[in-house]
Amino acid sequence: MHISEGVLSPSVLIAGAALTAVGVAVGLRKLENEEIPSMGILSAAFFVASLVHVPAGPASVHLVLNGLLGLILGWKAFPAILVALGLQALLFQFGGLTSLGVNTLNMAFPAVACRYLFGWGVRVGAKPSVFVISAFACGSFAILLSGVMVGFCLYLTGEAFLPAAKLVVAAHIPVMIIEGVLTTACALFLRRVKPELLEGQYVPKS
Amino acid sequence: MCQSLDRTCLGRFRSAPLLFFVLVGLWVALHVTPAWAHKVTIFAYVEGDTVFTQSKFSGGKRAKNATVLVYDKEGNQLLEGATDENGEFSFKVPKKTDLKIVLKASMGHRGEWTIPEEEITGVADTSGTGAAENEAATAMHEEPSVAVTKADAESPATAVALGLSREEFEQLVDKALDRKLAPILTMLTDSLDRGPKMSDVIGGIGYIFGLVGVGLYFSTRRKRG
Repeated sequence: MHISEGVLSPSVLIAGAALTAVGVAVGLRKLENEEIPSMGILSAAFFVASLVHVPAGPASVHLVLNGLLGLILGWKAFPAILVALGLQALLFQFGGLTSLGVNTLNMAFPAVACRYLFGWGVRVGAKPSVFVISAFACGSFAILLSGVMVGFCLYLTGEAFLPAAKLVVAAHIPVMIIEGVLTTACALFLRRVKPELLEGQYVPKS
Repeated sequence: MCQSLDRTCLGRFRSAPLLFFVLVGLWVALHVTPAWAHKVTIFAYVEGDTVFTQSKFSGGKRAKNATVLVYDKEGNQLLEGATDENGEFSFKVPKKTDLKIVLKASMGHRGEWTIPEEEITGVADTSGTGAAENEAATAMHEEPSVAVTKADAESPATAVALGLSREEFEQLVDKALDRKLAPILTMLTDSLDRGPKMSDVIGGIGYIFGLVGVGLYFSTRRKRG
């Protein structure tokens, strides 16, 4: 999912960076004191998830966890993913620094989108079946959307869209399933242990 | 810019992480050369007149059917090929120059490797690649006329005694060395898988927790103040 340096055209890189800057600004604006630790922990989880390789498909794919981040953090997934991707680029040489903006957008935007699409179902009060299905959809759909966006970025730089997107999405089908299950498991666990995290905004104890 | 936003932009703790991101961003921009950043790696070495390349993703998986582009020093594309099932691709040296080998794997992955001109020994400066490969034994007496390279004038006595020109003698040594070094090169290729190290992972987590700490520090300070 990480697009390397020297692959995309400058205009795509700049547009991606600009949109990411907007997302990060929105995320930081919504940030409350109490959410800083959970954001850090999820950012760390995202950072490490990329090391879990899934041995399937034609290319090397790894976990992303953006659905989970979106579910819990919403817009705050933008700064969390930006930090994690920046460190991945620096320490692991995954992706690159010039493509950091685009990569953040490709992973954080689906996270936020899935939060709005499926987040309503992942609430403490929801029916168990709705809860599980929404959580699974949130995890896997975020990957799907990321794949399509990566394909679109490559398309903007001259590759044919359908083959590029198909390849990325096909390579990530195993990841989609794993992340769906993982997101569901996390959501179920949080519902039992720390339900306030699933309520979107942090609800301070009054 | 912050005047009207004073409460939201400067007065609140939010500016602290923001500032930190900016600082980290700056530090990052100043410290890193773009050449580092790739997730797919290509390693290439020369044997005689042939360049062998191996490509793999971090994590050790071979990059199959990936496009390999070869450029010369000036950035002109010399040839194009695709890696096989083992992520390998080899080609005859098209020209004696610095060879920049670019690997384009699927999904926006890209890797690079440069072979400096000095490493290309199996090819005579201007002659076609085939000429250099002729067996020394048969071409013994035609070669000297073709070989107008470097130190031809003072052929060593030993080589002359064997009935070999300096050129041919060098080729034989190169060939023998290539054969001897092949396993070492293979080993080097395998060890060159620049996957993330444990220290990187721990370091990254440390950075993130440090950021959290900075954020919390400023947020509590704001509360007290």
